[in-house]
Amino acid sequence: MRNVIFIPMALVMMLVTGANAADGVTKGPNGEKPEPARSLTLTADEEASIKAGNYTAALVWHEMSEYTNAVNSGAQDEFKRLGITVVAQTDAGFDAARQKADVETVLAKKPSIILSLPVDPATAASVYDPARAAGVKLAFIDNSPAGYAHDKDYVTIVSDDLFQMGNRAGIAMADALGKKGKLGYIFHDADFYVTNQRDQAFKRTIEQDYPDMKIVAEQGMADTARSEEIAQALVTQHPDLDGIYVTWAEPALSVLAALRAAGNTHTRIVTLDLNEPAALDMVKGGNVAALVADEAYMIGVTAARAAAGSLAGKKTGPFLVVDSIAVTKDTVKEGWKASLNKDVPATIADAIK
Amino acid sequence: MSNADLAAPSLLSRINLQRYVVYIGFLAIFLFFAIVLRDSGFLTVRNLSNIVLQTAPVTIMAIGLVFVMSAGEIDLSIGSIVAVSALAAAVTIGQYGMVAGIIAGLGAGFVIGLINGFLVAYVKLPSFLVTLATLGLFAGVSRSMTDLRSIPVTDSLFTGIFGSGSLFGIPSLIWWTVIAIAIAHIVFRETRFGAHVLATGDNARAAAVCGISVPRIRLAVLTLSGVIAGLAGLLYAGRLQAAKYTLGETDLMTVIAAVIVGGTLLNGGKGSIVGALVGSLMMGMLNNGLILMGLSVSDQMIVRGFIILAAVAVSLREKNR
Repeated sequence: MRNVIFIPMALVMMLVTGANAADGVTKGPNGEKPEPARSLTLTADEEASIKAGNYTAALVWHEMSEYTNAVNSGAQDEFKRLGITVVAQTDAGFDAARQKADVETVLAKKPSIILSLPVDPATAASVYDPARAAGVKLAFIDNSPAGYAHDKDYVTIVSDDLFQMGNRAGIAMADALGKKGKLGYIFHDADFYVTNQRDQAFKRTIEQDYPDMKIVAEQGMADTARSEEIAQALVTQHPDLDGIYVTWAEPALSVLAALRAAGNTHTRIVTLDLNEPAALDMVKGGNVAALVADEAYMIGVTAARAAAGSLAGKKTGPFLVVDSIAVTKDTVKEGWKASLNKDVPATIADAIK
Repeated sequence: MSNADLAAPSLLSRINLQRYVVYIGFLAIFLFFAIVLRDSGFLTVRNLSNIVLQTAPVTIMAIGLVFVMSAGEIDLSIGSIVAVSALAAAVTIGQYGMVAGIIAGLGAGFVIGLINGFLVAYVKLPSFLVTLATLGLFAGVSRSMTDLRSIPVTDSLFTGIFGSGSLFGIPSLIWWTVIAIAIAHIVFRETRFGAHVLATGDNARAAAVCGISVPRIRLAVLTLSGVIAGLAGLLYAGRLQAAKYTLGETDLMTVIAAVIVGGTLLNGGKGSIVGALVGSLMMGMLNNGLILMGLSVSDQMIVRGFIILAAVAVSLREKNR
């Protein structure tokens, strides 16, 4: 679901920045070298200084979704731990003008920190300039306003590791198939940064690391509304596939439906992002073998920690990335918690029993 | 029962409460936030001026919709017109300069409004369906115009006039709001055109019998609404110093709510420009106050929904009496 939400923003990001993960490493939107988010820690002195500061924070989101909820929840928890009060949170509904209004509005509460995901990096400078001028510490998710400089204008960018996600999907597929077999590859056939990088990383992992696994069927998907037709065609033409990679969970459900309709219990599916029906199939021993997800909660924790640290004078690298996790039948509980900081939905918990 | 007791209801009934519902509601919400958020910056000049600035494009769009709804029609396409106009202006300014950009932006609104008007007035299609279709159609056009890209507007004179600058210390958006409201109010209340719009919305057949060209009025209000939405697009582009296909997309419901709360009837025949201004400011104040109250995003939406529902219910009940 996150892919769909991120598509317009990600496209702009790609066009503006040319960020790239296809060469084996995820780089920041301005070509920054990634640093692991977990490497960011605060000393006891820094934490004490932050707690004594009576600081406040505002969360200016691009839109609300399950992903944003997890990021929001991570940020809230970390701010609470550090004695920082969250005074406002907003949802721009992916509208840059509304995000500008939101920034202006929250400034009335004089927050020390603003965490935000810019709707449109190319034009975000005019959105955040009033906050920057007011001396508010800015920390961003996924991208930064064009023209802003790390350290001078903002604290850091926190994102997920796109290459690692595709790579982990490749490894999960290999594990599910015993490192051999024929694969179908359903990729997002559109010029979108997030999905393109993840898809390419999967393909590259299979082609380079697993000589006994072959992608024998490739199918691009430009319109999710047509995913069922595409899945149906692929399954009909290639009934002997051992595994199918699907670019994200929503179209993967169409592939699952097509496999079920064909009575196929053999072909395994690996896809990206957590999704309740797909996870339910996985724990019930169906076709779904693994779901690879990012640690969205940790993105919020890290952004909050970096921004709070800056109030105590701590310097943070320009681009921090969180880990991704391959969630399988055996790790679904832990995976759900690590990604979204939530317990698995009741239906899945019941199926595990 | 004394004479005074008997006099009370008759005095109340003489006061046309309906006319003041939006003002009373506005004042009540203002007082509520002023008390609850007295320490949260709500009453600062900066914050109050932000509310006016942020609602300026919505107010401008609401003006066009008052004319359309008073004539008994609706224009849902304004959300898309804003983006198309802003993008047309931004692209043209980059190539041919400010004047050409303004003409392109307003021209785009004019053409879309004209298409809506023609289909409603002369092909006799319902405005709801026509503008619903053009809303989707031009949302697609705005996306394809620049392949989803944002277009920066770097002409400082344009951004100064349309949103970022000020004159005599007053932000340009406030000038636009005041001037647009003043002109629209005069046209709506004092001219023959305004009277014909109301007559058409009240009873189109009767208006036609009286010699009013109903199709021409319908064409005029929808074209006017298109041009005015185009102006809102220019204001967004000036304020954001950029244009993007998402501009105005989320404003449609806010504009409709502002116009209805402000005393304009959905079925036509009655409208208020000043009421729409107050309705629009009320919507902006609600967004602002609920954020400053520190509510979660979901809670903001729920509370806003309830308040709008209550405001519309009171407003419509009063009118239907």
